[in-house]
Amino acid sequence: MNSLMVLLQAEFKRLAKYNIIQVSLGVTVLWLAVLFLIGQNEAGAFIPLFIFMDVSLMTMLLIGAGLFYERQENTLKTLMVTPASTAGIIASKIVSAVYIALQSTILIALAGHFFFDATINFFALIPLVVLVAISHAVIGYLVAMYVKDFTSMLAMLMLYMFVFAFPSIFYAIDMIGGVWETLLIVSPSHAAMILIDFSFGAEETMTLVVVGVVYLSLLSILLMRFFVYPKYIETAIKE
Amino acid sequence: MKELAIVDEKIFEVENLAFTYPKNKVEALRDVSFSVRKGEVFGILGPSGAGKSTTQKILIRLLKDYRGHVRYRGKDLRAYNDSFYEDIGVGFELPVHFSKLTAVENMDFFKRLYQRHIDYDALLARVGLAEDKERLVGELSKGMKVRLNFVRALLNDPQVLFLDEPTNGLDPANARIIKDLVQEFKEKGGTVILSTHLMNDVEELCDRVAFITQGVIREISTPRELKIRHGKREVRVEYHENNCTNEKTFPLDKIGENPEFLDILKNRSVETIHSGETSLDEIFIKVTGEEISHE
Repeated sequence: MNSLMVLLQAEFKRLAKYNIIQVSLGVTVLWLAVLFLIGQNEAGAFIPLFIFMDVSLMTMLLIGAGLFYERQENTLKTLMVTPASTAGIIASKIVSAVYIALQSTILIALAGHFFFDATINFFALIPLVVLVAISHAVIGYLVAMYVKDFTSMLAMLMLYMFVFAFPSIFYAIDMIGGVWETLLIVSPSHAAMILIDFSFGAEETMTLVVVGVVYLSLLSILLMRFFVYPKYIETAIKE
Repeated sequence: MKELAIVDEKIFEVENLAFTYPKNKVEALRDVSFSVRKGEVFGILGPSGAGKSTTQKILIRLLKDYRGHVRYRGKDLRAYNDSFYEDIGVGFELPVHFSKLTAVENMDFFKRLYQRHIDYDALLARVGLAEDKERLVGELSKGMKVRLNFVRALLNDPQVLFLDEPTNGLDPANARIIKDLVQEFKEKGGTVILSTHLMNDVEELCDRVAFITQGVIREISTPRELKIRHGKREVRVEYHENNCTNEKTFPLDKIGENPEFLDILKNRSVETIHSGETSLDEIFIKVTGEEISHE
């Protein structure tokens, strides 16, 4: 069997064994519970926000936590001395993170569609969520590999949320505006928010959506090529 | 006889190898040259930080920015792709398994990454893990994990086996099993590159050893030659005479013609006879200038 398929199957098995799928489902159920508590009138506005948080921040956290587990278990190095390629090893983890993100997205979006009359363009939502999840998985990798311990990783993720995610959330709920709109252009979170909002029928201009897609794609490729890939090898060797 | 299985085919040829870690100014390896022959157990010995791990990491293609030449089966190591790992097995010192998967699930996962593999059930039984194979690795003792590491290293039926402290943390009975398996691997034509602090393992397993310290190979030889070279050519006899124990040392040369020595053997009650052969522990300290860590 192709080694990428073996790696993918193993990743999914570990996601279940390490309760990551279950935890992710639990968080999704919480989002759904909150939506039902908010009620039909307000829930529609929160659905894209919850999907954004799940696909971006949860993905970063899950990738980072998974990497720390593996660093503790010294399994990075042992995989490096198998015929599986490093790119395949990293890709399998990103694909599994995308799966988790899609699982939550689809459940929340279906609830939105059937219970809260949300307008959803599923043909846009799925590929855009995949892109957002990939880019944030790469960022999650980056954060997890440049810190020394789990606490530092959580601190870095909090910092990321304060610098990138919260301003976008505040912007989305009209708490901030004006000059922030220009500054937010460089935020991966803001690009993610624009793409997810677009899938829910928000009046984003096509230019912004294209810029968001290009920005997140380029960011993922460049971070992967120049930081994540070499740092992954370095981290594995140091084990 | 250990030497019988060794043939002249060189598995690894290392010439003028040098390596500097990116953030370090000091070279981790300097002008290291040696070769490893097919069917040989080659020991790389040295104190912590001497360059053993760096050498091994280069040979298993984890570190690639080295200077000098490394050839595997006559071909530049850099010319190999990841299929190189079909040929080699690596047994790390620390446990390297997914703790929330069982031993079998771990073995099954790693096995499927290779084209060629062995019946790991038989090997698990041989190392005494048959009854624990369905337990989560996280629940296994340190010794069990060490034995599982060994099975993992042999999963792909490798030609070359890299072992780092393979018996560290094992009780004598389990250490014996691992050493027997290493011998069997060698007898089937396999090549072993062993890194250890345990001189008993070296003495039992290694055909040749390289002592490395401060990134430089100080000495390469067989354990026997090392003992002869570093030992004293003398014989010490303790014998009983007049209600007390006496001790006398004789030069080894022409010992059979030494009348005093022969007289003691014939006419006294000999208690012990010791040759001046030194131990590998002492050679290690002498060559590397450092005490052996038994951690």
